[in-house]
Amino acid sequence: MDWIETLVNGALLGGLYGLLGIGLALVFGVMRVVNIAHGEFMVLAAYLGVMLVSLFPHVQPLLVLIPVILAAFAVGYVFQATIVNRVIRAPDPLAPLLLTFGVSIVLRNLMVVVFGADVRSLQLGALSRSGVNLFGIRIGVMPLLTLFVAVVLFLLLQWALNHTTFGRVVRATADRSDIVRLFGVKPERVYNYVMGLSLALGAIAGVLLAARSSFTPFSGVERLLIAFEVVVLGGLGSFWGALLGGIMLGMAQLAGLKWDPNAGLLYAHLLFFVMLLIRPAGLVANRA
Amino acid sequence: MSKRFVAAYCVLVLVVAAAPLVLGQGALRFGTECMLVLSMAQMWNLLAGYAGLVSLGHQVFVGIGAYGLFLTSNSLGLSPYWVLPLAPLVCAVVAFVIALPLFRLREAYFAIAMWVFSEIVAALVTKSSWLGGTSGLPLTTSNLIDFDWFEPVMFWIAGALALASIGGLFLMMRSSFGLGLMSVRDNDLAAMSVGVDVQRNRFIVFLLSAAGCGLAGAVSFLGNLYVLPSAGFDVNWVVYMMFIVIIGGIGTLEGPVIGTVIFFSLREIITDQFDLTAGWYLVALGTAAVVVMLWSPRGLWPPLRDRFGWQLLGVSRKAPNLGKLPDEAGQPG
Repeated sequence: MDWIETLVNGALLGGLYGLLGIGLALVFGVMRVVNIAHGEFMVLAAYLGVMLVSLFPHVQPLLVLIPVILAAFAVGYVFQATIVNRVIRAPDPLAPLLLTFGVSIVLRNLMVVVFGADVRSLQLGALSRSGVNLFGIRIGVMPLLTLFVAVVLFLLLQWALNHTTFGRVVRATADRSDIVRLFGVKPERVYNYVMGLSLALGAIAGVLLAARSSFTPFSGVERLLIAFEVVVLGGLGSFWGALLGGIMLGMAQLAGLKWDPNAGLLYAHLLFFVMLLIRPAGLVANRA
Repeated sequence: MSKRFVAAYCVLVLVVAAAPLVLGQGALRFGTECMLVLSMAQMWNLLAGYAGLVSLGHQVFVGIGAYGLFLTSNSLGLSPYWVLPLAPLVCAVVAFVIALPLFRLREAYFAIAMWVFSEIVAALVTKSSWLGGTSGLPLTTSNLIDFDWFEPVMFWIAGALALASIGGLFLMMRSSFGLGLMSVRDNDLAAMSVGVDVQRNRFIVFLLSAAGCGLAGAVSFLGNLYVLPSAGFDVNWVVYMMFIVIIGGIGTLEGPVIGTVIFFSLREIITDQFDLTAGWYLVALGTAAVVVMLWSPRGLWPPLRDRFGWQLLGVSRKAPNLGKLPDEAGQPG
């Protein structure tokens, strides 16, 4: 029963991990850029959330998500418009990778300088401790809520991409950024909105993850690696694949931690590497 | 090879050989560090700038090189100088093994998968008690080192490594192997069509780059007589390598030299003159790298070279003069 509880909790954590990956996958899918600074932006969102909670102690803590999401969208828009768009047409496909890596180092160390290297976490009060009993398994309300939020967001995003004008423009830009110009679409502007959306999704994941476990300015690295593993395991372009990949990683991590308490993310990383070995064809096929 | 290059190289060798006679201990340590970081940057440059493989996990080879040296020296009871050649060997073997899964991945996938691999190795080392766990490994054979000569010997090893990496890369890029590498970098389709084996070239370069980084890492931690997993597998190693190469000029041999000079001047100015923390220094370095990437994507050296016509370690070739092509001459005017 213990093990089942661990796996269920791993699956719930996996919903959150899927959310971590989806922002990264969106940007990669539309503009072929792996945003290495994605993890740092998540941690930044978490710091903003912690600050807002301490500023307004009487407001329900989860409501900070609203200003944090708006701020993350604005930051993403400006980040894309002022920095990433300038290298997106570079002949070297690795230019955006190196550029966002540079940005991630700047952000990480700015956070160290400004907020200090102390461990922080987002306090949700009674909500983080409450749980329900389901068939003899105790499940936290927060993890359940998180998985629910993740599924809702996945559905919303899929619906928006398939059934709205914005979604059609985004998909068209992803396919042929040169042709959409003929229809009066500026790909750069679409990229700005997509990066804003990506960081807004990342901000939700960042705040929820900060409520679940603690974070430091250095947490961006593991958040990025998890997000990347989710994307690769799930397969690009497939949102449900990302959710599935996240759930696999979440289960691997919690099962590993139960067996070996100071393992950290080791078993999630190992699972990723094993999958890389046994399913390379799937990975390569997903690149196209 | 030009006589000027040979002469300049000999002068550099003499300078490195004679420096310990003139410099004090602090300056020697600083020089050693500069030359080791330069060697690592050149190794990263070899992989990224010439083979098109960006690795964000190259710190793993620094750590493996250091642990390889400490483990073999401690267990065999041999002087660390004697087992130093084993460090790059261990790294090359590790690179050989992980190349099998990783070489299926391209571009960003390869870069981040290397990073994940580095995290896995770091976590395993931290957990294994025979490698000292989180508290690391001391060099138990340090009694075999003559400490009167320690700083000069370290300086000489680092100098030899830096000079060998620059000279070796220069010779390599002028050979047919280097020509093949650069042709793949410039146009892989055309290179393949004239029979360049892309994967084989990349594989050899990956092994060389890993071995070079491992040797530099081993020497670096030999200087401390102690290795910690958090220091050996520190992600900042690859940050330094990458920033130096990007700022100086990726895919050039002179670029990393310029990048190293800027890197250490910036560090000394910020931490010494302004008395700021390492965090601010990395912020400044990262900002410099981002600005260079936006303003001059090829780094600082190539524009300078083109502007002033400087050629220090030029490896480009002149196209043979074929005269006027017949169809061009025969075209009606």
